[in-house]
Amino acid sequence: MDYFISLTITGLVMGIIFALMALGLTLIFSILNVINFAHGEFYMLGGYAMIFLLEAFVDVPPILMVPIAGILVAIVGIVFEIAFLRPMHDEKIERPAEYAVLITFGLSFFLLNLALAVWGPFPHSPPSFIGGSVRLGPILVSADRLVASGMSLLLLALLLLLINKTWLGKALRAVSQDKQAAAVVGINSDVMNTIAFALGVGLAAVSGALLASTFSVTPDVGAVPAIRSYIIIVLGGMGSIPGSIVGAIIIGLVESYGAGYFPDPSRALNYKTAYGLVIFALVLLIRPQGLFGRKE
Amino acid sequence: MRRITNTFRQPVGIAVLGGLVLMLILPAFVQTYWLHVLIIAYFYAVLASSWALLAGYGGQFSFAHMAFMAIGAYVGGLVAIHLNVPVVLSVAIGTLAAGFAGLIIGALTLRFKAAYLALFTIAFSEISRTIIRAEAQITRGDRGLKLEPLFPDSISRIPDYYVFALLLIISLAFMYWLVQSRIGLFIRAIREDEEAAAARGVDVVRYKVLVFVITSMIAGIAGALFANYVTIITPNIMVIPQMGLVIAMAIIGGVESLIAAAIGAILIQISLELLREFGAWRMVIFGALLMVTLRFASSGLLTTIFNRVFNLGPKAELRKGTVEGAAEDGT
Repeated sequence: MDYFISLTITGLVMGIIFALMALGLTLIFSILNVINFAHGEFYMLGGYAMIFLLEAFVDVPPILMVPIAGILVAIVGIVFEIAFLRPMHDEKIERPAEYAVLITFGLSFFLLNLALAVWGPFPHSPPSFIGGSVRLGPILVSADRLVASGMSLLLLALLLLLINKTWLGKALRAVSQDKQAAAVVGINSDVMNTIAFALGVGLAAVSGALLASTFSVTPDVGAVPAIRSYIIIVLGGMGSIPGSIVGAIIIGLVESYGAGYFPDPSRALNYKTAYGLVIFALVLLIRPQGLFGRKE
Repeated sequence: MRRITNTFRQPVGIAVLGGLVLMLILPAFVQTYWLHVLIIAYFYAVLASSWALLAGYGGQFSFAHMAFMAIGAYVGGLVAIHLNVPVVLSVAIGTLAAGFAGLIIGALTLRFKAAYLALFTIAFSEISRTIIRAEAQITRGDRGLKLEPLFPDSISRIPDYYVFALLLIISLAFMYWLVQSRIGLFIRAIREDEEAAAARGVDVVRYKVLVFVITSMIAGIAGALFANYVTIITPNIMVIPQMGLVIAMAIIGGVESLIAAAIGAILIQISLELLREFGAWRMVIFGALLMVTLRFASSGLLTTIFNRVFNLGPKAELRKGTVEGAAEDGT
């Protein structure tokens, strides 16, 4: 029983962190109608930004640097959005759906190779937030993961407030529901697209920064979290915010139980992501709109 | 309206013939080292052009092409090791296995729009790689599966060169025949408007899956042969950046022309070799080139330059007519 509880706690802790990154993807999808295939690379950049910031400002507590890392990476996102995605929404591109897939995948290829050229293939690691572990009921959880999870929870709450209670959030929701109607009431959808993209990739970068000390940073570190986020948003229903939070927690739990109960511990960790594919295929076959999705 | 370059306009026809002759007489002039570079270039050219058939003609933007290549390589390799069969047979079995995997994934993803297909195939590809790494007692994981060379008795690379040159020529000729046939017109009609094509009687399911299976088999045979050529196969061959490289080759060359995608692959592989001193920055350059091509020359950088130089203005209206005509008498 203790083992089950400990797996549940680990699953929840990780699920909350996954939610942050998946929510970024959802935000971009619901406003821009684009799946960001470079999401993992923004996560990776978040990790490197964190390392850079902590080396530049040694005396500042690491946790304060997390939002700054997010903002730095969001600037990269803004430049990309204006240069490559805005023309698509201005109808300068033929076959926009295919273009969106390829251009974000192209960005992912570019950023990954850029990271490889700049930082090399070897893992880099920033200092940990606190270090050590914390006793939670029957089990020990790494303190850094708890910090990351707590910070994710805080950011999730702030984001939900932003979307549901502010003028900006209302404008974003308006654009996501009906671009033309939003334009009629004076909301500039180009600006909203850029803001949503910056927020979305900023969230990926923040997840990368939060987990940089737990899993060290390499140029390809974003691949697994990105694929996990894709599975989460399909499971939750594309474009649904509650869907991606619930989806993330389900995937967190599935990975935790899956790894914990796999008969051969040496292979268990590798199979963690494979459960996701099974869920992916089942969702697509049985309920393609996902848990919270609207039927098209 | 998009442009599809008509490959067999006269000056182009001569160029293709010249290229063919050049490919076949090249071993007489080139050193072993460059033969090796060309073999790898042809391997990528087969992958890039078959991906172009799937994506550029069929509109199915799959990121699992390298996974099918690896399935061909691993199944072929495992069959050769455990059943001790000749290379020809193990390559054939690997190819069939890739086609079978393509059938399953193609059927599963049939109804997906561009973004969903991309999501599913990228996940399938990465998770296959993780499983191959994890099942080390079968696949030998990251240490790699050791295989017999294609020509154990030959010290020169010339026989290997011809294997890959023929693979490229035959697969290009086959795919060219396919896109010129009625099937090719159905495929393009489906891409332009799936519902309209179905309404006019094109069996959408059958042709979409067919393209998926055919291109997976081409990737599989390339993988199985390549594994035997380099005599070792590791999961690293199917990482996402490798898929990115193949896509970059196809798109920079021209994703709506099989031959442009193949030439793109050969030129990029040769430039990668020539630009060795730039190390990891070479890929950064090609990544940037990929994005610029997508944004400003969607029919391909090479195709655009080529059309400018030779002043070939494809007649878009003509093609539209043929596609609709084909859909009309569909089966």
